Amino acid sequence: MIFGIDPLLENIDGAAILIVLVKVVIAFAALMVSVMAMVWFERKIVARMQNRLGPNVAGPFGILQTLADGIKLFFKEDLIPDNADPFVFRLAPYLSLVPAFLVFMVIPLGGDFNNGKGGVVTWFGSTNETLFQLADPHIGILFVLAMSSIAVYGVMLAGWSSGSKYPLLGSVRATAQMVSYEAALGLSLLAVLLNSGSLSTNAIVAGQQAWNWNAWATGGVPFIVFMIAATAELNRPPFDLVEAEQELVGGFHTEYSSIRFALFFLAEFMNTITMSAVIVTLFLGGPAGPTGWAPEWLQGVLPTVYFFAKLLMFLFIFVWFRGTLPRLRYDQLMDLGWKVLIPLSLAWFLLLAAFKVGQDQNWNRFLVGGVGVVTIVFGAALVSGAASAARARRADQEVAS
Amino acid sequence: MGQYLPILALGILATLFALISLIASRLLNPGRPNDAKNAPYECGIVDQVAPPERFPVRFYLVAMIFIVFDIEIIFLYPFTAVYRELGSFGLVSVIEFAVAVFASFLYVVANGALDWGPLKQVRRSGMMVTPSRTSTSTIRRVGQEGREVHVGDEGVAA
Repeated sequence: MIFGIDPLLENIDGAAILIVLVKVVIAFAALMVSVMAMVWFERKIVARMQNRLGPNVAGPFGILQTLADGIKLFFKEDLIPDNADPFVFRLAPYLSLVPAFLVFMVIPLGGDFNNGKGGVVTWFGSTNETLFQLADPHIGILFVLAMSSIAVYGVMLAGWSSGSKYPLLGSVRATAQMVSYEAALGLSLLAVLLNSGSLSTNAIVAGQQAWNWNAWATGGVPFIVFMIAATAELNRPPFDLVEAEQELVGGFHTEYSSIRFALFFLAEFMNTITMSAVIVTLFLGGPAGPTGWAPEWLQGVLPTVYFFAKLLMFLFIFVWFRGTLPRLRYDQLMDLGWKVLIPLSLAWFLLLAAFKVGQDQNWNRFLVGGVGVVTIVFGAALVSGAASAARARRADQEVAS
Repeated sequence: MGQYLPILALGILATLFALISLIASRLLNPGRPNDAKNAPYECGIVDQVAPPERFPVRFYLVAMIFIVFDIEIIFLYPFTAVYRELGSFGLVSVIEFAVAVFASFLYVVANGALDWGPLKQVRRSGMMVTPSRTSTSTIRRVGQEGREVHVGDEGVAA
């Protein structure tokens, strides 16, 4: 166990390897198909919100539009600009795409978590028990954060290596933005980990049974902060400063064409799907839901149905954001990330930790809450005081110069 | 390390997918580059200025402050796993740590390291502003003058 060996796969034989391969190929195909569906879904919903029809020619309801676009991109000229650094320019799409695929591995897609069953499902005969997720490393959530950090390199190097000003500006913005919101993302995650006491996604889902979902078990604030930070981390509207068309043409992938552009596009939409799946796993109980009412044959399928219903809800929310919210200004974006979300999620984590420890130590919970709220208000006053001090100092300097 | 086998497998599969699609694209696409296509994108204008090599120092500051917070997060993750065993000692230590980071964060904010963009200046107008000046009195409706409304005009009557 010390090297993270899972007892389910401790004695790796042919059947175990077969299960791994089958799962990996199924996951790969499912991801590709869901990205296709997501691109169509987004275009269709945004079109309807803007009183247009959206894609409606290729296939029924235009559902094959993404496939048609993908095939078209294969036939387009693949240019590498003269100013570009050829090696890094070619490397960047991989750095963007591969992490996008890998994040999906730690998401539990189904399985029965009730009564401590831990989401084990049985495939290929009763001897081969496995989880309805590709991998369950003990560091599950750290893996998600690590992969989303690597994705920053894809964006940064793509912009830097293009040797052109718009991609460069886009990538510098992207780096600062993603780095800022990653701190908020990590801090809001802490509240969830405090509830579950484990970094493994399987354990996090198992800790949220019987409607004890983290979205409200952590008091709502980490959920909202995580949602905002995830939107910014994905560079989706209203935080799409990275590819603000009106000022940066296409942002970091301006110089990319043909299939290289398609790979970035694929990675972007795949990240949207996996980040929605991460939110569902962390805050909405993953595949949890009422299964008691269903007949026996439905019980195995229902958790997966619940999971995908929740996933679809978040995908719709992301599209809804894009359809309705105007883009933030860059200073507003940075102020929101650094001066609101980061201190807020840190304070909330400390408050929750004080409550949890206070429960064990039999402290008066109203006293803990009162002291916590007073401290948070004091901290907020300090932050706004510091911000106004900085503003006053700048005003003095600008008058003096 | 059985749990990391699928990660390796999917990583290889994803890399292969990207590789194969790049090879397919190379076979299928028309390779007809010319100088105009290979030039940096500038809406068809020939670029006169090279892309800047220097950036506002704020970007570096953000990256450095992020590292401080990242280290804090990394220290807090283990705390969430063992806070029950540590009890009130663990809580006090974490709060001390958070206060230390928060104090340096306040210093950074107060020095304006996280301020972006121009300062919003509110200029007082030199003109006398009276309550009688409202949007209805100052805005002249264009095209209303000279348009006499005729009694019995079909459109107005309706």
